[in-house]
Amino acid sequence: MFITVAGEKKEVKDGLLLKELIEQEKVQTPQYVTVSLNDEFIETADRDQVVLKDGDTVEFLYFMGGGAWH
Amino acid sequence: MALSDEQIERYSRHILLKEIGAKGQKKLLEAKVLVIGAGGLGCPVGLYLAAAGVGTIGVADADTVDLSNLQRQIAHTTADIGKPKVQSLKESMEAINPDVTVHAYQKFIDSSNIRELIREYDFIVDGTDNFAAKFLINDACVMEKKPFSHAGILRFQGQLMTYIPGQGPCYRCVFKDMPPKDAIPTCRQAGVIGAMAGVIGSLQAMETVKFITGTGTLLVGQLLTYDGINQSFRKIKLPPCDGKCAICGEHPTITELRDYEQPACELRL
Amino acid sequence: MAAEEIRADETVDVTHLVCPNTFVKTKVVLDGLDEGQILAVRLNDGEPVQNVPRSLKEEGHEVLRLDPNDDGTFTLYVKKVGD
Repeated sequence: MFITVAGEKKEVKDGLLLKELIEQEKVQTPQYVTVSLNDEFIETADRDQVVLKDGDTVEFLYFMGGGAWH
Repeated sequence: MALSDEQIERYSRHILLKEIGAKGQKKLLEAKVLVIGAGGLGCPVGLYLAAAGVGTIGVADADTVDLSNLQRQIAHTTADIGKPKVQSLKESMEAINPDVTVHAYQKFIDSSNIRELIREYDFIVDGTDNFAAKFLINDACVMEKKPFSHAGILRFQGQLMTYIPGQGPCYRCVFKDMPPKDAIPTCRQAGVIGAMAGVIGSLQAMETVKFITGTGTLLVGQLLTYDGINQSFRKIKLPPCDGKCAICGEHPTITELRDYEQPACELRL
Repeated sequence: MAAEEIRADETVDVTHLVCPNTFVKTKVVLDGLDEGQILAVRLNDGEPVQNVPRSLKEEGHEVLRLDPNDDGTFTLYVKKVGD
């Protein structure tokens, strides 16, 4: 099946769990990355229960500091 | 308020734009914007807003200019080392445009003073570098119903989004809570390309000017990300607030501002 | 044939200005008028006569007439369209 991950279409195995996708994509500090699936936020605790379907869209939203102030 | 001949000439490139015109320029001259952080992001934001003729601009930062800042904090010069950043930035802004009033706040912005401070302004720009400040600004803006521009930069990456009360998700809808100490690298630990501050800060200035003049579409419900390595921009659609957000949700659990501990910089990467 | 006189609600002289400030100044004055009001713009021959009417049309305003004056300048009559 095909899903879109961070804007890129990818072929993945059927029945892939969101948690497995995150590992497969080598997402850094995954526990602090917000994940959205088809325009909905997914709770971190639910990642191992979410089974991806053909046509799904997954986005990773990363914490980013920056500027200069302390 | 009538534009003087000097103002007409100074702002002619704005007035020429159909979307801005004399009306938009007058709105800019009457607007009040607070820039929190006078560093990598705050410098280009402050300079562009001053140049644009935003009538009243507040800049807040407790820090002084350091040699290592000059690689990206373009409003400060070598001669400014040791000077309060807000003073240095204010001088640069006034040198570009004496038409604007710059209020410099050389102090730490915390839960005790932020609400009072942002109340005076129409739009807030988050140019801070740490998550404690980012969550504080978000929560205070939600509480005071103030729109703001969030941005973050790291290495060759940058991101920004805009919060408008009642129109889209807030920063906390997306990022929930403070990451623990040292969980996420900061610029001080991991580095940042200087021009990244210019790109993202300029985009924040763009959002600010568009908000004031009511032009175009803002980054509400969208996270714009920029990757300098590949020179690629992405506009990521953000889910709407699910009503469960601790600050902007239906039953907020955060009813008072708090100061998170500033994570120390011990992470080695 | 003598052209009909147009009664302008406001006048502006941009003969002391150069492009693009001729149009910028015209825009600023027009901005202060109400929809349907007429502005008379005194402008120089050459670039201003070429550019100012065209730019006004591009912004949707109605250019009524361009009259030559005795001193070599022109008077442009424009009706404000939209707010």
